[in-house]
Amino acid sequence: MTSALDRWNPLTPLAAAIALVLVAFAGPQPWTPAAVLALSLAIALASGIGGKVTVLTLLVVVPTFALLVLLDAAFPEPAAETRWIPSRAGTLDALGVIVVGVAPRRLTRALAARGLPAWAAYLVIASLEAVPDARRRAEDVLDAQRCRGVAVGKGTGVRGRLRALPALAGPLIVGLVIESEERALALDARAFDARGKRTALAPIADPIGEIWARRVIWLALAAAIAWRFWEFAHSLVIAQVSRS
Amino acid sequence: MAMGVVRNALRVVCYPPVPLPARRPLSTLALALIPRAVALNLALGAVVGALKLPVYLDSVGTILVAVLAGPWAGIVTGIVSNSVLGLLVSPALFAFIPVAIVIGWLAGVAGTLGAFRSLAGSIAAGLVIGVAAALASAVIVIALMGGLTASGTGLLTIAIRATFGVSVDSAAKIAAVVTDALDKPLSCVLVYLVLERLPRRLGARFRRAAA
Repeated sequence: MTSALDRWNPLTPLAAAIALVLVAFAGPQPWTPAAVLALSLAIALASGIGGKVTVLTLLVVVPTFALLVLLDAAFPEPAAETRWIPSRAGTLDALGVIVVGVAPRRLTRALAARGLPAWAAYLVIASLEAVPDARRRAEDVLDAQRCRGVAVGKGTGVRGRLRALPALAGPLIVGLVIESEERALALDARAFDARGKRTALAPIADPIGEIWARRVIWLALAAAIAWRFWEFAHSLVIAQVSRS
Repeated sequence: MAMGVVRNALRVVCYPPVPLPARRPLSTLALALIPRAVALNLALGAVVGALKLPVYLDSVGTILVAVLAGPWAGIVTGIVSNSVLGLLVSPALFAFIPVAIVIGWLAGVAGTLGAFRSLAGSIAAGLVIGVAAALASAVIVIALMGGLTASGTGLLTIAIRATFGVSVDSAAKIAAVVTDALDKPLSCVLVYLVLERLPRRLGARFRRAAA
């Protein structure tokens, strides 16, 4: 997926997302998370991924809201903090999707350029690549075992379906473990263990403007957290004085 | 002839030392297995969906790696698994990385203690992992989401609160224990059955690499 965020160094949207999530939780409730939600949706819309972000946000917010309505119907006075859940969940989701708006591969490569170990970068990228293959293989195993007469689905009791589980999951798991041995040999053959600095084939640009933007974001975040701590300490002192 | 031996010996001695591999906490075998285990955590959802079982089985890969390659590998698998889930499914899952760490570490410790050598041991390990994971997950759900998640566990939380009249926080903890107490022992039994069927040579290679 490509978005306008791909024009940036992935570390900049990541820094912005982390800062906004922390501010949403540290700021006054429930207005701060609501403002952060609005801001993140605006960024998503401007980046051309507004539709996907909205759908994913609704996927989290609507079921949570439905559960709250259910809770309200069952009990006249539900816990007050549960009323803030939709804005918090929506904020988390919208910001997370902004991070997703940046291709995970680019993000991992940018992190590797900033010192993330090669093995850690390999784990993230290889995992993302392995998922579709494993899903397809799971479907293949399911079809093959159905053809061999393994009872699956309606009409089979829970005990029968539990008995079918090893027959369906077993070949999938054993196959993946055996395959990993071949992959390990390939990694060794490609000198995965080699020391020394690696050169990126397609380095990700990090303009000076973005470097400064990230510095400003981290400073603003530190200031917001310090202000929150100061406010908390101040309220404690006032409480102490009013008691004495 | 004696001179020739001395000359050959000198040649051997004069070879430059073989450069040591880069330092990293995991063997190449574990590194190759972890991405497949992460994919397995996601792919087993298709199997569970087809069987319509009331479990997730989304930690089988993490437990398998932890048992085969040790607690560190289990922890790394848990972190990568939830990060990839967060990127592919829902960013809210990033918040549950600590739960995956608890599962990976406990499964690795249980594997080191030999719990996965018998069916009873695997079930016991699953129960311990299930309770610990449930408590960790309940703390996160209560702190970040007020005790409710948009899932079957959320409905169970409401049902428990309605039936027993307990607070949302307590209901969330009970709901997490109920779901994980069923899910994790089943995951551990599945790993035990796979280990039984795995070629012995491969199991020994993992143990050697982890040592």
